Amino acid sequence: MKKIVYAVLATVSGLVLLFSYRTSHVEPADSLAADTSTTSSSTTGSTGAGTGGTGGTGTGSGDTGAGSAASGAASDSSASGLADGTYTGASTNTRFGPVQVQITVAGGQITDVQVPEYPSSNPRDRQINQRALPVLVSETTAAQSADIDMVSGATYTSEGYAQSLQSAIDQARA
Amino acid sequence: MIAPRRRVAVERIMGTAISVHVVGDVGADAFDHAVSACFDELRRVDGVFSPYRDDSDILRIARGELAMTDASPWVAEVARECARAEAETRGLFTAMWSGVFDPTGYVKGWSVERAARAHLAPLIESPGAVAAGINAGGDMQLFTAARSDRTWNVAIVDPGDPSRVIATVPVRDGAVATSGGAERGAHIVDPRTGVAVAGAGSATVVSASLAHADVWATAAVVAGFDDLGWISRAGRASGLIVDGCGRVRRWVDGVEISVGDGAVLDPAAR
Repeated sequence: MKKIVYAVLATVSGLVLLFSYRTSHVEPADSLAADTSTTSSSTTGSTGAGTGGTGGTGTGSGDTGAGSAASGAASDSSASGLADGTYTGASTNTRFGPVQVQITVAGGQITDVQVPEYPSSNPRDRQINQRALPVLVSETTAAQSADIDMVSGATYTSEGYAQSLQSAIDQARA
Repeated sequence: MIAPRRRVAVERIMGTAISVHVVGDVGADAFDHAVSACFDELRRVDGVFSPYRDDSDILRIARGELAMTDASPWVAEVARECARAEAETRGLFTAMWSGVFDPTGYVKGWSVERAARAHLAPLIESPGAVAAGINAGGDMQLFTAARSDRTWNVAIVDPGDPSRVIATVPVRDGAVATSGGAERGAHIVDPRTGVAVAGAGSATVVSASLAHADVWATAAVVAGFDDLGWISRAGRASGLIVDGCGRVRRWVDGVEISVGDGAVLDPAAR
C-alpha cells in the first residue's frame, strides 16, 4: 500500500501535524493549498517572540511527498513554546473533498482541533458541516469535565449506569 | 449570562440506560410528551428485537414460529440495513455470523436515531429551544437549533477506566458511537473467525447518523487497532481508536491524522 507521510506544520516546540495517506482514494494536495485556501488567525500584537508556521518537513516515503508550508499566526509565545493562534495544515483531497486540520492554541495549549470544510460560501453550511476530530485530553489542559454534555464509551449496562460518568452528568444537569 | 435551562430524563430500556437532554426554553409538557413518545417507541423496538424476550419477533422467527413477512415491518427494514452494512464493511459487520439472523448489534443505533429524529428533533423547532439529544449507553444522536451557536461537548472515555475522559469532540448535529469490550466483556464477534474480539480497546465514530456510526464503530473494533484500511469506506465521518495499551489513532473522511506525538506539550506547563 502506498503510504506517504507529510509533516505539514512545525513549530519551535516540535508541534507536528501529520496526514498519513492510506488509501488510493487520497491524492496529494497541491502543496500551495495552505497558502491560498485557508484562513488563519490574523496576527495581533507582538510578533517578536512567536514563531508562526515554519516550513514543513516532508518525510514522504512515497515518491510524490512534499512538505508544504503551514500558515500560522503568532501573537504570544508561552512556556510550552506554542504561540497562540490558529494553525491550518495543507489541504488534502479526499473523495469527500478537501480535508484540512486546524489547530487552535491559546495560553500555549492546544484548545481545539478542527477539520473545517472548504469551500463553502455559506457560513451556516460551514458551521453545520464542520468536521470535528476528537481532541485528546493530553493535548489540552483546559478543565474538561465541567463542560461535558454527553459521554461516549463502550455500552454500559443498566446496572453499570449508576457508576457511569453519564449518570453523574444527568444528575448534575437535571 | 445564565446557562439555558436543561431538562433531563433517564429510562432503562434495551439493557442499558437511555438519557434524553433538552436544552433551552421548552415547556415541561412538550418535553414530557416527546420523551414519552421516544421511550415508548424504543420499548416497542425492544419488544420486536430483544434476544432476551421469548415472545420477541426475532426469537419467534429464529424458532420458526413466525414468518419474516408476518413479523413487524421493522424486521425486514433492519434485515435490509444489516445486509447493506455487511456489504459496506466487507464483512467486518454482520447480523448473520452464526447463520442465524441476529441484528442485536444494529438495532440499538438504528432505533435510537429513528426515535430521536421522530420525537426529539422537532423540539428544537420551537422558539427558545436550543438543542436536544439522546444518549443510549454511550451511543448518541444530537441536534442543535440552527439559530443557536451552542455545541455539544462530547467526552470519550478511556476503555480501561470509564471514569476517565481521554478525548472530547464538539458536535452540533450528528452522532457519536463507541464500541468496545470493556463494559460488557467480550461481546463483539469477529465474523471472519467466529471468535469474540479480545482487545481491551474501543473505537469511536462521529458521523451524521447513529446507525452508521454504530456499525462502523463495531467494524473498527473487529478490524483491530492496527488495521485502518476500512476508513476510506466509512464515508463522511471521523473517529478515534484506542488499544489496550492506551495508544490512539485518529482519522477523518478516510484520512488518518496524527497531531504531534504526545510530546507536543511541555509537561511542566500542565
